[in-house]
Amino acid sequence: MNAYAPIFVLALLAAGFAVFSVTLTSFTGPKRYNRAKVDAYECGIEPTPQPLGGGRFPVKYYLTAMMFIIFDIEIVFLYPWAVAFDQLGLFAFIAMMLFLVNLAVPYVYEWRRGGLDWD
Amino acid sequence: MDDVLIAPDIDYLAVAPMIIVGVTAVVGVLVEAFAPRRPRRGIQLVLTFGALIAAFVVLISQAGTRVITGSLAIDGPSLVLQGLILLIAIVSAMLMAERRVDPAGDAFSPRASALPGSEEERVLSTRGFMQTEVWPLMLFAVVGMMLFTAANDLLVMFIALEIMSLPLYLLAGMSRRRRLLSQEAALKYFILGAFSSAFFIFGAAMLYGFSGTISLPGIADALSANPGQTPLIFIGFGLVVIGLLFKVGAVPFHQWVPDVYQGSPSAVTAFMAAAVKVAAFGALLRFLYVAFGGARWDWQPALWIIAIATMLVGSILAITQTDIKRMLAYSSIAQAGFILVGVIAVNPEGVAAVMFYLAAYGFATLGAFAVISLVRQDGGEATHLSNWAGLGKRSPVLALSMSLFMLSFAGIPLTSGFIGKFTVFEAAILADAVPLVIVGVIASIIAAFFYVRVIVLMFFTEPAEVGPTVVLPSVFTTLVLAISVAVTVILGVFPQPVLDLVEQANVFLR
Amino acid sequence: MNTDLGVFGNDPWWIVVIKAIAIFVVLVLVTLFTIWWERRVVGRMQNRIGPNRVGPLGLLQSLMDGIKLALKEEIIPKSAYRAVYWLAPVISATMAFIAFAVIPFGPEVSILGVMTPLQLTDFPVSVLYVLAVASIGIYGIVLAGWSSGSTYPLLGGLRSSAQMISYELAMSMSFVAVFLYAGTMSTSGIVAAQEPIWYAIILLPSFLIYVTSMVGETNRAPFDLPEAEGELVGGFHTEYSSLKFALFFLAEYINMVTVSALATTLFLGGWRAPWPISLWEGANVGWWPLLWFLVKVQLFIFVFIWLRGTLPRLRYDQFMRFGWKVLIPVSLVWIVVVATARVIRNEFSIATEDILLWGAGLLVIVVIGGWILQWRSSRKEEQAEELAALTDDGPFDPMAGAFPVPPMPGQEFTYTSRVSQRPLAAATVTPAVTSGPSSTHLPDDDAPKESSNA
Repeated sequence: MNAYAPIFVLALLAAGFAVFSVTLTSFTGPKRYNRAKVDAYECGIEPTPQPLGGGRFPVKYYLTAMMFIIFDIEIVFLYPWAVAFDQLGLFAFIAMMLFLVNLAVPYVYEWRRGGLDWD
Repeated sequence: MDDVLIAPDIDYLAVAPMIIVGVTAVVGVLVEAFAPRRPRRGIQLVLTFGALIAAFVVLISQAGTRVITGSLAIDGPSLVLQGLILLIAIVSAMLMAERRVDPAGDAFSPRASALPGSEEERVLSTRGFMQTEVWPLMLFAVVGMMLFTAANDLLVMFIALEIMSLPLYLLAGMSRRRRLLSQEAALKYFILGAFSSAFFIFGAAMLYGFSGTISLPGIADALSANPGQTPLIFIGFGLVVIGLLFKVGAVPFHQWVPDVYQGSPSAVTAFMAAAVKVAAFGALLRFLYVAFGGARWDWQPALWIIAIATMLVGSILAITQTDIKRMLAYSSIAQAGFILVGVIAVNPEGVAAVMFYLAAYGFATLGAFAVISLVRQDGGEATHLSNWAGLGKRSPVLALSMSLFMLSFAGIPLTSGFIGKFTVFEAAILADAVPLVIVGVIASIIAAFFYVRVIVLMFFTEPAEVGPTVVLPSVFTTLVLAISVAVTVILGVFPQPVLDLVEQANVFLR
Repeated sequence: MNTDLGVFGNDPWWIVVIKAIAIFVVLVLVTLFTIWWERRVVGRMQNRIGPNRVGPLGLLQSLMDGIKLALKEEIIPKSAYRAVYWLAPVISATMAFIAFAVIPFGPEVSILGVMTPLQLTDFPVSVLYVLAVASIGIYGIVLAGWSSGSTYPLLGGLRSSAQMISYELAMSMSFVAVFLYAGTMSTSGIVAAQEPIWYAIILLPSFLIYVTSMVGETNRAPFDLPEAEGELVGGFHTEYSSLKFALFFLAEYINMVTVSALATTLFLGGWRAPWPISLWEGANVGWWPLLWFLVKVQLFIFVFIWLRGTLPRLRYDQFMRFGWKVLIPVSLVWIVVVATARVIRNEFSIATEDILLWGAGLLVIVVIGGWILQWRSSRKEEQAEELAALTDDGPFDPMAGAFPVPPMPGQEFTYTSRVSQRPLAAATVTPAVTSGPSSTHLPDDDAPKESSNA
């Protein structure tokens, strides 16, 4: 646990600086209210009314995020294997190669089916 | 630094059935990616049936193996249940391959990701697109189920649970007709299933915290070494059992069953209702007997209550249903209660009885849903009970088979269901669980009401003027019906070979 | 390897505070310096001088910009979600700072009488820690875009974060080869393992993949479409003003410094002196390594600035395609090659592993190079074809488009079926097209010709 304690110190310092900056501006900046300033900026035109919560997002962002999670978990599995590689011998090598094949197949499937295209 | 890992000793032949189905599922995904559209369905059918049959043949050659390889325990119950899963999968695959009953194609949506009712869907349907990913998905589900029954380890059990469930979540949402209902069913199944998987893994973590190991025999040893009651054991056991009972459809955790069974395409419902129960009960048996066999006095009262509630709730709520798929869903909840009675009787007769009941129930379910897929109106299935009036006059063969399945569910003699109930109740009495048997009999009587009501509806009611039609199926559904009828009758009249088989294979390996 | 980590976690509290403050100050100073340097270097690349008024050589420019931003009015859009709007820059900035906690600046030195390594802390999974913290930093961007309450920041935030997570995959994969060689994930262990040779040389493909993906990860040119002015105005920070905007800016530059520091640590030997200097014994002792480290980090930052000054921006779908369809398969194949070579060495004790690895590395680079060359030549062919099609001297069909067009110079007007269907009232037809080619066919000259009609 001791090795992680310095991170808290740095985190406290950084968070303190950030919060300080963010609250500082409400004191040091001028306050000149103008109705146009607090509207959403859309290059000068009247902003289109937005539904609560931002409305719907295009689904391709979800797809990208899901693909990211799958491959990130694959990488997370690769890390301990890579670190302990020399002690694991041939059996673990073959097992991990099978795992990578198992992940390459859906990758190829997605590629062919257009899941990796950003429309 | 120099301690290289010693590779574990794996009996590859014993796990070969799972490997065969798994590899074929992966190859199926590659076929999806690369094969041109027209031959895709044919290739997938060949791969699916080939893999399932090959796996079954290898499994039979492994009869009598008792070995623990790695984290899997291949023993009598796991071999029998895996074989049963493979047989059910072969028959369900035949149901899924049916293309003649729906005028628009097969039972699955041409593209499950298309918005229901959109132009894209209509265009794809008229062009004859078919979502052939159904086959690899089904094979993945089969792998998960086979793994689930053989898992000797809480972690492998969890992985198998997920491998089994995720394709089924997808399959539930792929119905061609009534898309919104289907998608709702898939979403409900997914969310509730995700919760129950979370419960399972929480419980597994608690049990690991108590015993320091995740293997089931290891937990049993830790339990016998520490007879003191720590909360960790109770919480762990409770959470894991909640996860398993969810899959089975036992009472406080049965809410997903009616909606999912009703919304999924009938072929998928048949597959789910039959095979998932087999796998889940296999895992439940192994968990309760191998890990917690010594602590049975602690968990039996809780399971008594659950079994009684399941039998009664399933039977009573099915009476008010007007949709036959929903009625069969509640009836399957009740059947799960009866099988739980066999689980609670912690004796070898109980294990044998559970396995026989699963076989009887599985094939009767497959047959019943095959019949449901044949009664159609305006292209879609006519599942409202009023549509079944007078079916006996229009299609006597169909109505007779349906009556056979209903009687088997009800437990009338000369059907497989009767032998199943008989053996289960016999095992329970041998274990001094007489109140359970009494409640079981009462529930059977209650259940018999709605089963017989269907028969009465079919034979003794006048059909409506403009009613549903009975479609003539291709060889696939005909085979399914024939096999189901044959198994139900043979197991009812001549059950001895199968009973001997399950009685030989009813000891778990520790 | 664990004994090496025993030197960490034992510092007295005041050393920890001194180191934390030092890292904080160093980061802020490097950021200010980088902003100034970027403007100067990009200016020079564009044949102008850059800021040179405020302070000697314009060095105080960034500080004055920061102070100016602090004195600006804080405009909060009325449709913003207040709590998240305030939180987003705090998340970004905090995560950017604490990612630096495990970067090794140098070996053990004596600070005020205590022997301590020039590194805030280290543990067996410190590279994983950096990746995790960087991923939380991405939250700041998404939340900033969403909480601004208008579509363009939302889309800009989503786009930025989609790009960052796509390139984070390639980045993480390029580390696997490094861990295979180093046998540990702790940064000080990796620096120590590079004593024989730097990983940028023996794991060149990993290094190249990492450099490419680090540019994509930090949303820098040429991958900076989400921040381009003409696209979504400011992207996720459109609605932010004053110091909150400055915090995002700070976070972006600190991210740049962090990925450069990671590149230095994992591939360029960290604080180890490069080869000619490493022959001198004292190069890797005491406070000297701090200099080598800073030089290497600034080298990478110069590469960042150089790329920004020279390369045009890639389109969003182009670089998403690059990240998903090129970087990831190449990384996976490289990992398999490295693992195979290493297992052959371990199992069969073949000392030709180095040759194998060099050969495989060269092969991968050759394959990638050949692939790029082939793609460019096919692109050139396509472009040549398109150009030829445009200036084709084939039969001119005036009705080929939606409306009739006259022939261009060099094109010949021939009959089309529509022309030939007009009644051949010869007397009333006059050549309306006077500026056409000399061989214009008039309706009453010949019989109507066949024409290649669309």
